[in-house]
Amino acid sequence: RKLFGENDLYQNARRALHSTCPTTMPGRQKELDELKGFILGHVDKGTSGTLYISGPPGTGKTASLNLILEDSKISAEISQVYVNCTSIKSSGSIFSRIAKDLGVKSGGNSEKEYISAVEKHLQRPHKTILLVLDEIDQLESKRQSVLYTIFEWPAIPNSRVILVGIANALDLTDRILPRLQARCELKPQLMHFAPYTKQQLVEIFTSRLRDAGVLDIFSPVALQMLAGKVAAVSGDVRRALDIGRRVVELVDKRRTGDGVLKAVENLAEELESEKKIESVDLKEVVSVLNSVYGTTQSFDDEVDDAFPLQQKIVVCSLLLILNKAKNKDVTVGRLHDVYRRVCSKRNIQVGDH
Amino acid sequence: SLTCRRKCYYYESCSESEDSDAQEIFINVKRKVKTPVKYNDETYISPFKSLRITDEAHVTPVKNKALAKDIFCEAKTPKNSAKKATPRSTIKLIREGVITPKVQSRSRTLELESTPLKRARSQLHVSYVPTNLPCREKEYKDIFNFLEGKLLDKCGGCMYISGVPGTGKTATVTSVINQLVTLAKAGDLPEFQYVNINGMKLTEPRQAYVEIVKQLVGKTVTWEQAQTTLEEKFTKKSKQMKLPIILLVDELDIVCTKRQDVVYNILDWPTKPNTQLIVITIANTMDLPERLLMNRVTSRLGLTRLTFQAYTHKQLQEIVAKRLAGTNSFNPDAVQLVARKVASVSGDARRALDICRRAAEIAETEGGDTQVTMSHVNEALRAMITQPKVRAIKHCSRLEQYVLQAVISEVERTGIEETIFSDVYRMLVSICAINGFNLVSCTVALRAVSRLGACRLLLVDQKCHDLDERIILNVSPDDVYYALKEE
Repeated sequence: RKLFGENDLYQNARRALHSTCPTTMPGRQKELDELKGFILGHVDKGTSGTLYISGPPGTGKTASLNLILEDSKISAEISQVYVNCTSIKSSGSIFSRIAKDLGVKSGGNSEKEYISAVEKHLQRPHKTILLVLDEIDQLESKRQSVLYTIFEWPAIPNSRVILVGIANALDLTDRILPRLQARCELKPQLMHFAPYTKQQLVEIFTSRLRDAGVLDIFSPVALQMLAGKVAAVSGDVRRALDIGRRVVELVDKRRTGDGVLKAVENLAEELESEKKIESVDLKEVVSVLNSVYGTTQSFDDEVDDAFPLQQKIVVCSLLLILNKAKNKDVTVGRLHDVYRRVCSKRNIQVGDH
Repeated sequence: SLTCRRKCYYYESCSESEDSDAQEIFINVKRKVKTPVKYNDETYISPFKSLRITDEAHVTPVKNKALAKDIFCEAKTPKNSAKKATPRSTIKLIREGVITPKVQSRSRTLELESTPLKRARSQLHVSYVPTNLPCREKEYKDIFNFLEGKLLDKCGGCMYISGVPGTGKTATVTSVINQLVTLAKAGDLPEFQYVNINGMKLTEPRQAYVEIVKQLVGKTVTWEQAQTTLEEKFTKKSKQMKLPIILLVDELDIVCTKRQDVVYNILDWPTKPNTQLIVITIANTMDLPERLLMNRVTSRLGLTRLTFQAYTHKQLQEIVAKRLAGTNSFNPDAVQLVARKVASVSGDARRALDICRRAAEIAETEGGDTQVTMSHVNEALRAMITQPKVRAIKHCSRLEQYVLQAVISEVERTGIEETIFSDVYRMLVSICAINGFNLVSCTVALRAVSRLGACRLLLVDQKCHDLDERIILNVSPDDVYYALKEE
């Protein structure tokens, strides 16, 4: 398999369509500039600020923050703390984690002592701290004391904290932190990551495939189709990349399957045919999309009778009850009575309860 | 039993009333057995002496006991001689993985399967997994391609596998991984580590971290420590892992909690750059990601999914036939009957194999090498599939049967499913009168009701007792009529 160069093309394409954090973000230039402007503005002025980023999953929130954190100019001037809030034990233990990451020593092990240690550190002169809390809705606690404590840090005199919270909900700060609205300096600036549009998804795909040098593996029509479908349903780039990868896998599998057959016939002919690259067509994209977004199961005619007969009868009798009876509250006993009658009419052995 | 006891007593008193000579011999014999060396020569002893002897005999065991204790103590003085591990240090060794758990081995070797039926039975056992699974070639290829692709591409990913119980999900995945291990040993694939956790084997979802660390490193730590080590391993560049890891999570729905942090973390690690974690998740529900998981977890789980359909009767027949290859102890028609019966109800391969084993056991009772025929299978099916309730009603006492009848007629009279004991009792009185049965008291009837409640033929409310106890019939009235009519 390693002999053929074209296989590497498909592998490259699959690798290029990975869903890990990318190094460039084609569709998010505006947001990235805005973020950078926000952070650099606060760094230059020496002030602190709060930012809340919202958006549905798979719109590149964490990825853009990661890009910002790796920016050489920013990382030189700022000490960064990145915490994913799902990875901590409970909402209270966030403080010990922050204290550890900031390198602050506390007097004791309790939550209060960690808070006071961090706050003391903030009052002393220090480098600007960029505190990124990912999945911030996991920090909800009784009376939201944890979130309020953290969101009040930027207002501590002499502190230089840039707090960035990331979550899915659009109105999280308004809904669970209403008291922040009362004070203007505490109110977080809001930023929304809208779901990717079709154009942006196409842009992401083309840039990634171009970087890997395998742009001609996808035909433009297929790409448009894929992007349009995903953008219409969710706008989640992880899904788009996933489908793209699966399409490539499908084509690769089919082609290697052919290759084995040809190898038996004639090796030279096979090498000849391998040279032209089979590009992903509209047909494959449509078939993968149908299997993903279609109805729950696409039954082949062969698989059709795989559904056990008794289960079919049970479902049909349930339908019968729901259609005919006024009382939609169906107990197992009631269902069994109808099912038994159906079975006896059809001359089929009755299963027990 | 009373008469029997009386007999015993009578026998004892008889032996007591016998004359002293007999008693003497009796004691003598007894003594002889106990200490045969000392008193061997003296055959005739006066009753008085014998009494003393018995006294002595009483004493000697105590002495022996004291002696035994001494010996025991001497044998168990390891403190001076050898350093034996205290429990605490043993636990430490277990946690660090130095000591491996062992099960006591058999004292005798196992017998080999002699008869063809026995061999067939051992091959039909559910735990015997064949080297290649019949009727799952397509799924096997899908999973193999996915894992091979990920290993060759050197990137992480997730896959979700679903299907009803007994359709070969876990068996397929493990056989794929075995194949990959042999390929990796031969050098055709990059080497990898394999971790396998099962949601049902964890006392708590967070114990998943502990289990993963235990299988990777071999040490047992608390879950907080385990989580931090795993997170550092997967996210920090400096502590990067060397080998790719394939993680199989069985029973995914058990790992989900309200916060869903464990499942989020498990599915989030593959998306991190410069790690290579491949996660395969298995559950029963087809739409678990959409139904139970949070939005952001579903997004990470991706769309690579595979559904295992229930086996059809042809496939079940092929599975059983593959297992029985080499033995001709099963009639093909019998196998087909099992396959058709099981495929019509659930399509569960385990059930088909169990029924075949049961049929083989039934055939074995008739002789070592009889062939399993339709009649054996029918008997096994009757025992395993058909209704036990009718038989339970048939074997109830007559009073209990009348109680069931009374409940039914009370339900028919009022038209409400729930009945009250006082009404049932009134109905019971009239049914008893019609059948010429002696009238029973309220307490006896109540006891019958509670017996029926204990074997779940009736549902009885535990809170209020006596006359206003509420009763619901737990079997269908047709079953009761059917069971009582045939008598």
